[in-house]
Amino acid sequence: MGGFYWIASYPKSGNTWMRMLLASLQAGGAALSFDTRIAFAPVASHFADVEAVLDVEPTDLTADELAELRHDMAMLIAREAPEPQFRKVHDAWGRTPSGRPLFPPEVTLGTLYLVRDPRDIAVSWAHFSGRTVDETIAFLARPSQLSRLPTRASQTAQHLSTWSGHVLSWLGAEPTPLVLRYEDMLADPAGALTKAAHHLGLDTDPQVVASAVAATRFERLQAEEEEKGFEMGQMEGRNFFRRGEAGGWRDVLTAEQADRIVCDHGEAMERLGYLATPARSDAPC
Amino acid sequence: MDLADARGATGLSHDRALYGLRIASEFPAPDLPPWSGDDRAVDLSIRIGRVPRLTNPVLDRPLLQADAEGLCRYAIPGVAAYEVSADGRQVVIEPDGSPTEAEIRTFLFGTVFAIVCMKRGLLPLHASCIRMGDKAVAVAGHSGAGKSTLAANLVARGFLLLADDVTVIDMSGEAPTALPAFPRVKLWRDAMDRLELAVDGLERARPTLEKYHVPVETAFCGEPLPLAGLIHLEPESQAPAGLRRLSAMEGLSRISAVVYRQQMMVRLGLRDQQMEQFLRLTSKLGGLRAMRRVAVPAELDALVDQMTALAR
Repeated sequence: MGGFYWIASYPKSGNTWMRMLLASLQAGGAALSFDTRIAFAPVASHFADVEAVLDVEPTDLTADELAELRHDMAMLIAREAPEPQFRKVHDAWGRTPSGRPLFPPEVTLGTLYLVRDPRDIAVSWAHFSGRTVDETIAFLARPSQLSRLPTRASQTAQHLSTWSGHVLSWLGAEPTPLVLRYEDMLADPAGALTKAAHHLGLDTDPQVVASAVAATRFERLQAEEEEKGFEMGQMEGRNFFRRGEAGGWRDVLTAEQADRIVCDHGEAMERLGYLATPARSDAPC
Repeated sequence: MDLADARGATGLSHDRALYGLRIASEFPAPDLPPWSGDDRAVDLSIRIGRVPRLTNPVLDRPLLQADAEGLCRYAIPGVAAYEVSADGRQVVIEPDGSPTEAEIRTFLFGTVFAIVCMKRGLLPLHASCIRMGDKAVAVAGHSGAGKSTLAANLVARGFLLLADDVTVIDMSGEAPTALPAFPRVKLWRDAMDRLELAVDGLERARPTLEKYHVPVETAFCGEPLPLAGLIHLEPESQAPAGLRRLSAMEGLSRISAVVYRQQMMVRLGLRDQQMEQFLRLTSKLGGLRAMRRVAVPAELDALVDQMTALAR
């Protein structure tokens, strides 16, 4: 019997970069081909999985039916696949409509939970989605779904919750995830990858880790995207690999916008160390 | 829905055609064309009755069960349970709750009919199928790849449709034959809007889904045709536009995207039948082709030329 390693995050928090690091690590530190989309850790709720495992046309099912069946799907895949399965996840940790866990603890081998300062997420996602920064800040603050137009959908809708709700759901998940901050990945990619790989039961040879880090350096990914394109659902004509830095929000957000994010998410930000001092009591919340 | 209601007002047997089979159905099937073939005995009867869970299954999955004799039970909670006899000659439907007839048909003509076809030695493909000259060309791919949208575009250009979503191939003769399904396509609302099709009065696949059964009426081809080409529609391909011929190995690696319910067929114990039929099919067709999703109308023009050439 196998089981799952979940690579979970709110969108725009370094999930793609981490999966590229891990893909390169698994390939002995090799450079990655952009010609096909990265195959490591496909999304947990892909329609192809639903169809293959459950013998049903996923687009003939309602969102609730699909959500309910995702528990069965995880249990079945774990029972039938002999080797560990890696899956990308953007859902909040949670339960099916009937109350069964979406990510059943009994078939979870480990979880990597990636987080990023929500002020940077707001900037990054506004660029990605073509929404304004204010709309994006509002999106982070309300319980939201990640879904595409039916004709373009290849995966089930994913319940994100709010940004805070997402963070708190995974921090309370069973078993407890390894939490990695995007900012720490940037500051020390080799260290972050070593920790992640160790948690996911992968080889952590320092030489291979160094090669994987070199293979996925930001400038390299950006140049590759420039040449070949990298379609991940971003608004047409926009780059996926944008700046690859931490703290860029300081150049983009107004003080009022930054304050609003702190008002909305102060508690979770504090738990993750994103507020140098506790949320200002005089903030206009 | 009680069983008497499910039988429809007349209680009479509906004499219909699907995939070349003569079907007698207690359950109303208005979207199937009336049988117009020879006076052979009924190939498949569809009845309304009790469909209890199998007590001794050798295959026991969330929606599908099968026993050692080959009897299958497929159930969608809130819609219906379906039983397919081991020889694929009888289907029994038990509605669950208060489903619409349309949603009972959605799963009947999907997975349930695929089981029937597999048991009868036919090969269902996850494909739409279009008449090109005197032959047929099938476009296969996972759900969401854009098969129905492409089919609707081709129908809008005057081509005839043999099947949408599931194309059944008869491999018993010298050449592979595409069998006609029914005169409708399943389309999402946003695709219909782009095609400027109205949704008024159309049946939904499920009451809460914006997925409609769109009749194609006169654009339907009800006769079996030799299959001239099979194209895999790649949903997220970076490949250039147009058809590419795949090697035999590449073709085989895509079997799960091309054969309808490919893994289910294996689980039903039909792996050898599937492999033999798929390899013979792709070999007869000179290989599987591949193409990316059509992005601009000009690509559709070029594609039509290439598909027509395939059928020549």
